[in-house]
Amino acid sequence: MDFTNLDKTLFTRLNIKKAQVIEYYIKAAPRMLDLLKDRPIVLTRFPDGVDEKGFYEKDAPEGTPSWVKTATIYSETAKRNVNYILCNDLDTLIWLANLAAIEIHMPLSRLDSREKPDFVLFDVDPEPPASFEDAVEVAISLREKLEDLGLKPFVKTSGKKGLHIVIPIQREQTFKQTRAFAHRIGQHLMKETEIVVSELTDTKKPGKVFVDYTQNSHGRTMIAPYSLRAVPEATVSCPLEWREVKKGLKPTELNLFTVVKRENDPWKGILENRQKLEVK
Amino acid sequence: MGKRIKAETQPVTETKTEKTETETPVPKRPIWSGSITIGLINVPIKLYPMIYDRAVAFHFLHKVDGQPLKYERVCTKDGKVVPWNEVVKGYEVTKKEFVVFDKKELDAVKPESDSRIRVNKFVDYFSIDPTYFHTTYILMPDKSNDAYSLLLTALKKKGKACAGKITLRTKEYPAVVHAYKDTLVLTTLRYAYDIADPQGFEEIKKLKEPEKAELDLAVKIITDLSGEFDITEYKDTYRQKVKELIQKKLKGERIVVEKPVKEEARELMAALRETLKQLEKK
Repeated sequence: MDFTNLDKTLFTRLNIKKAQVIEYYIKAAPRMLDLLKDRPIVLTRFPDGVDEKGFYEKDAPEGTPSWVKTATIYSETAKRNVNYILCNDLDTLIWLANLAAIEIHMPLSRLDSREKPDFVLFDVDPEPPASFEDAVEVAISLREKLEDLGLKPFVKTSGKKGLHIVIPIQREQTFKQTRAFAHRIGQHLMKETEIVVSELTDTKKPGKVFVDYTQNSHGRTMIAPYSLRAVPEATVSCPLEWREVKKGLKPTELNLFTVVKRENDPWKGILENRQKLEVK
Repeated sequence: MGKRIKAETQPVTETKTEKTETETPVPKRPIWSGSITIGLINVPIKLYPMIYDRAVAFHFLHKVDGQPLKYERVCTKDGKVVPWNEVVKGYEVTKKEFVVFDKKELDAVKPESDSRIRVNKFVDYFSIDPTYFHTTYILMPDKSNDAYSLLLTALKKKGKACAGKITLRTKEYPAVVHAYKDTLVLTTLRYAYDIADPQGFEEIKKLKEPEKAELDLAVKIITDLSGEFDITEYKDTYRQKVKELIQKKLKGERIVVEKPVKEEARELMAALRETLKQLEKK
């Protein structure tokens, strides 16, 4: 495969060129590919860099090489068949990086069981003046709540202002059920913690931390673990150990340069430990 | 193998002896002669080239028999070769539509080559924006050394340059004459309308003032790295390498073609190898 425009600057503030974005994805690939496998992905592409307007791309673009696997699925939002890209191998990931697909978003379910997800997602999203530190506190309470239920949650930064807490689950429940589960947990937290909201009507309440359960839906996506974010700081949605989730954690320090230097992958083997979600 | 092929259609000449890079050529023949006129004063001069483009020149040969190629003007309609006496010039008005001129019609409007460099002003040479400088020629006295010496000395004394215009072949140029290494040299200039205005770019209008701290740092770096400009520090490495290749070929050495890989691509390849190793281990 031929790389194009390697010296095109994609992140102006840090002077990051496309070659460095490709290099990042090559290095992150061993941690990403298992998780991306057989999930119809959605891209956000920034061919002129993240300071310029990017675009969402669901369809495999014109000129997609024949070796790139795709899946044709009817999209309810687009009201038509969409030819989604499957990023099942290193070559595809590199090809995507060469397309300046900075962000890779993935659904919580896989192709062979699209209605039954293998992840439950809690998107912990602070609304200013609530800060990232508030999100950290909420994430810690959420972890305790889930562990009380005998579950083992995993955490990553969103790469922007929040945190994502996920539970890998056996594919027994539908999205409707996982959504109801996440909602119920959110409501519990809300009762205990002043700052938390978990109702759609309250999403943008200033100073609150929204525990978003709604992404547990068919057709919704989550920013893929280790995906870059299209922000000037070139942050990464970075999987963390729970002991790292504490006061002083700075999501902007987890970026294109630092993340691949982290020795361990806190999400390593996450799908091999899928838990049973008991919905009462 | 480095083959040396002799063209059959041309007389065989000796192999060119290569001059060393540091040797500056002394031009042999003037390309123009005339005079500088300042009011009633005439300074007869000859114009020699001063600027050399020292790129290595290659000729196209026929791969099969090594013979030089020649170009021919071929009619796009019937593919037949057109002799010079059937060639006219056409100006494309719209796509594929031309107005046709013959040589006489164009010659009639050519600037008159009157062999004079008419000076109408004396200016400060260093006040001229170097962007306008086109090319420089050496001026030598033509039979009247005294007049030349007078102008040279006077210009040096006042630190000024003559500004005027000159017609070379068919084009009229603004020009300045100044003293350089105790010699008069003439520099033709570009017209103002031949230079693009960078203010036409939107990006420039949108530039923001830098932060003070950043600016201070940048200024400090500039101060620290300031030095005299020495052009001899710069070498044309491509030209040097081509010259080396020519020497190798002459000796019959084989040349291995290595496609240069860009720095970025090399780093990517290294990262790729590392990742492939990791993926294999799984």
